[in-house]
Amino acid sequence: MKIKNILIANRGEIAIRIIKTARQMGIKTSVIKTAAEPSAMYLALADNVYDDTENVSEIPVFLDIERIIKIAIDSGVDAIHPGYGFLAENPYFAQKCADKKIVFIGPSPDSIYKMGNKTIARKIALAHGIPMTMGSEGKIPTENEAVRIARNIGYPVIIKAASGGGGRGMRIVTREEDMSKMFRLASNEAEKAFSDPSVFIEKYIENPKHIEFQILGDTKGNIIHLGERECSVQRKHQKLLEEAPSIALNDDIRKEMGQMAVKIASAVGYFSAGTVEFLFDSEGAYYFMEMNTRIQVEHPVTELITGIDLIEEQIRIAEGKELRYRQKDIKINGWAIECRINAEDVQSGFSPAPGKIEQILMPSGENIRVDSGVQAGSVIAANFDSMIAKLIIYGRDRKDALANCKQALDKVWIKGTKTTLPFFRMLIRNPRFIDGSITTSFIENELTGYHVNSEYEEMLAAWLATWLFVDENLDESNLKINFEETKNLSPWLLNKRITRH
Amino acid sequence: MAKQQKKLYALTGKKKYGFSLPLTDTIKIGKRKYKIMIKEDEKHGTYILWKNRRYPVEIIQSRQNKFEILFNYVSYSFTIETPFSLKRKQYLSKEMGQVEEEKILAPMPGKIIEVLVREGTEISRGEPLLILEAMKMQNEINCPVNGTVTSVNVKPEVSVVKDDVMLEIKISQ
Amino acid sequence: MDTDGKYYKAFKKRLKMLEQQQSKEKINKQHAKGKLTARERLDLLLDEGSFEEVDAFVVPDTQGIEFGKVEKNFGDGVIAGHGKINSRLVFTYAQDFTIMGGSLGFVHANKIAKIQEMALKMGAPIIALIDSGGARIQEGIASLSGYATIFNNIIRASGIIPQIAVIMGPAAGGAVYSPALMDFVFMTSYTSYMFVTGPNVVKEVLNEDVSFEELGGAEVHAKKSGVAHFIYDDEENTILGLKKFLSYIPSNNVENPPKVEETGKTPDINKKLLDIVPDDPNKAYDVKEVIDNIVDKGSFFEISELYAQSLITGLARLEGRTIGILANQPKVLAGVLDINSSVKGARFIRFCDAFNIPLLTFEDVPGFLPGIDQEHSGIIRHGAKLLYAYSEASVPKITIILRKSYGGAYIVMNSKNLGGDFNFAWPTAEIAVMGPEGAVAILYRKELSESDDPKKLKAELVKKYRERIANPFVANEKGFIDEVIDPSVTRKKLITAFEALTNKWVEVPSRKHGNIPL
Repeated sequence: MKIKNILIANRGEIAIRIIKTARQMGIKTSVIKTAAEPSAMYLALADNVYDDTENVSEIPVFLDIERIIKIAIDSGVDAIHPGYGFLAENPYFAQKCADKKIVFIGPSPDSIYKMGNKTIARKIALAHGIPMTMGSEGKIPTENEAVRIARNIGYPVIIKAASGGGGRGMRIVTREEDMSKMFRLASNEAEKAFSDPSVFIEKYIENPKHIEFQILGDTKGNIIHLGERECSVQRKHQKLLEEAPSIALNDDIRKEMGQMAVKIASAVGYFSAGTVEFLFDSEGAYYFMEMNTRIQVEHPVTELITGIDLIEEQIRIAEGKELRYRQKDIKINGWAIECRINAEDVQSGFSPAPGKIEQILMPSGENIRVDSGVQAGSVIAANFDSMIAKLIIYGRDRKDALANCKQALDKVWIKGTKTTLPFFRMLIRNPRFIDGSITTSFIENELTGYHVNSEYEEMLAAWLATWLFVDENLDESNLKINFEETKNLSPWLLNKRITRH
Repeated sequence: MAKQQKKLYALTGKKKYGFSLPLTDTIKIGKRKYKIMIKEDEKHGTYILWKNRRYPVEIIQSRQNKFEILFNYVSYSFTIETPFSLKRKQYLSKEMGQVEEEKILAPMPGKIIEVLVREGTEISRGEPLLILEAMKMQNEINCPVNGTVTSVNVKPEVSVVKDDVMLEIKISQ
Repeated sequence: MDTDGKYYKAFKKRLKMLEQQQSKEKINKQHAKGKLTARERLDLLLDEGSFEEVDAFVVPDTQGIEFGKVEKNFGDGVIAGHGKINSRLVFTYAQDFTIMGGSLGFVHANKIAKIQEMALKMGAPIIALIDSGGARIQEGIASLSGYATIFNNIIRASGIIPQIAVIMGPAAGGAVYSPALMDFVFMTSYTSYMFVTGPNVVKEVLNEDVSFEELGGAEVHAKKSGVAHFIYDDEENTILGLKKFLSYIPSNNVENPPKVEETGKTPDINKKLLDIVPDDPNKAYDVKEVIDNIVDKGSFFEISELYAQSLITGLARLEGRTIGILANQPKVLAGVLDINSSVKGARFIRFCDAFNIPLLTFEDVPGFLPGIDQEHSGIIRHGAKLLYAYSEASVPKITIILRKSYGGAYIVMNSKNLGGDFNFAWPTAEIAVMGPEGAVAILYRKELSESDDPKKLKAELVKKYRERIANPFVANEKGFIDEVIDPSVTRKKLITAFEALTNKWVEVPSRKHGNIPL
């Protein structure tokens, strides 16, 4: 079937990303306008805007399955693209779309459900001989059981929520004495965050690299991988910078891991785009972690090195078309790096720095791609994420990409709020980052400063502060007081004031 | 005051920059002098022009003689002191000593919704510590210093009154 | 006259004696404590060369002392006179801690009284730089009566000339009442303190150990007691702050406040104002952002910033002209009014009223702070002060309702029938007897308890309540709000409105004075 119009159940840069490809394919797009950001950039680029600003529901529209389906039906669209986050990995949503005969641009509800539950995913991986860390299987009914399992695995272990990620419901336990307490804490947190207290326990790999493989599959059973991405630059389980390919892999390992990724995707009959995540330890051993059944934020780096438009592929697959590429057709060319520039204060623990973007000038050029959802005048609100732009750089090889990235970062001009830009400028000069040896614990454990310390710049800032002080307080010419005005009262008033008593 | 002051100092926590008055638009580095200019245009907003390069600059806060400036994306805090007030600061820090502990007090009566840290958590200035609901509004209480949490005296569902000590933080230097 | 002759020489010699009285040793002692000398403070405060000293050579009555000794000195521990601040005449006295600890004796008090009388006669502001150990014990009752004279003079001049106290050292016992009676108190951190009874007596009577700083330091008075309106880290900045503050106020109660050249570039139409107040009524925001985007750039000078923070008070300028601002601060205690903020607001309003400063009120208040503590401490009395002050004020009064405005708080914050000249509202305003949640719970209690989906019903009812009652258009239609305005044109509206009110005059029935609840 041919998809003629898509409802994008998302916002910000990914909405714009989907619109871009849809437009190239001649497909119309509809988006949803919210009261939280009525003048967001993505609204002006779509063909149709559904005005949801009157919605007083407590559930934000992008998480409201019923409402989105209703909007889709009212707007008469053929398909819904969920983007990433929100309902992208909600099997009920995918199912509801299917029930209402709306094409869900993503995998089947069944594979979303299976891969979404970490315990089920692990079971499947185990059954297919995918390398994994030793861990618990099935539910863990009591604290005592948790302690027994952990003892079996051997410390350190990590407790993880079965139904969600992002650090919630996660606890690293190094000693048996702490196990009960941590189990309780993790379960409670998981319950609060994902409405499901189930957790599983696995061996904790110290200082791993995070390597993930991009999967594409069609409804005819063909599944290929598009190489890996390394996402070891993380802080509190939030990715900051990603690159493709990874400096840690050689062709053999790549081939092997890629096959594993395809294998597990096949095990659930996967189609559309997806990502299989691995942890890669210092000995070169890799362990399956989980599979993300959606398009990911960092997909651009894969697109730059393979030359394939992943959104286009997703739409084609959703139309029922067969994949145009076999595994041998996938060639990796060059190197790509993506910097997630967010509105966060790196000097205050990356705390969100909402505000209004006054000016934003991003570099452009042959090796530069910018995916952004904001423009000058956009307000980065506290409700949604703090992303300003993704700066994606291409190079012939890693060295070239690093050099291009350094240059590009120096050309970024954003005013109006604090950004993570100083972090990237520091990182691109950091020797451990340059030699590719960093792991997921690097940012939190080994970095002492999150920005470049420039004495030079500090001095210029000091001069400015002094200038401001002088201007405000010491510059007498600045405060011209007009005393004549004080006496320039109308006779009406003057008379009244004087004869007051 | 300008007539009497010959010099002003801009102090950060660790460093001291001295500037002679009247303040000129040139700064001397080594043997050479360079011109520094404050400029503004629509495309770039406010910026500093130095050695032919534009540096984005924002005044985040300015209060009495304290300024927080975002210069080239890094935020710096300065207090501007005269030679006399500098001596006064030194005298006072001897008298007052260093403050070691920071008590996080409830700013208003309310109910704790969520505690985001534990004993031992290392925390940076500005990072959220807990969520307090009061007057139907959810307030994020942020940490005013860099340090380590030494004691957590509240948990979710607990009600606090104004000035209750909710957390204690050991300040890191 | 022969400048080498005996007359001139004697004259010169005496001047030299005065100079030498301020020995290097004494100056260094003061500096070592992080404090400036009285003369240095006056030098910083007044325009260069404008200081004319009065009674520089008066000597204390050393003979009539019954107990203890009083050393002979010129000036008796206070330097007084007149000078100019930014070309405006002011009268001022600075106590000299290096001379008998700046203690107040009979002659010292008389000198101050002289300056106070002159300031009142000339209609010029008076500034007191206080740095005194208190009453001079040796002089007995004469010292105490000296204070009484000073207090009397302050009260006689109250509301006629601006009187400002700057605490730069100790001010203890009776000495604290001078600043308490004056219009504004500036304090310098750590090196100044005020208390009625000192730590020694506290220790004796209550066996409590407390330091000077803990009992009555600048931070205590700026944050807890509200006695200090301004606090600065050091003396130089205190004086700079004072000079800046003076530029906002007139010299006496007949003149208008001075006008300055508008330096800022606050646009008359400012779209930023549309982004500040969140649509969600339970979300907080910083009302100072609203203020900053309306008044002349950088002109907002906050008063009592650290005290009773749920109500913001301060002076600002519109097109170079001073206005007084009151604003509920949703960021603090959700912007409720409580005892402290009511009193803070009332005092500020009365100062502005006395000195012809028009009042602008930004309103976003859900009500008064509930609770036993407030009720038992008399929120009824103290809330009434704010009401009284607003109604009594005859300066131009404009109110803008930004968001919430419920019940008694609506009335209090300069509502139309309380005397507001112009009452505006933003489209986000919610004006009602009670907030939507509370009102719906009361009016539809039966329906809600019988419903199968009370949450949904409540949400619908709340929506209806907002549409039918709690919006500004209803109040506009009934004439209680003059106009609902587009936030981005607020500044322009205000400038025009205040212009229209320039010559406002209200006839007040003749009486000795009203009986404001205290």
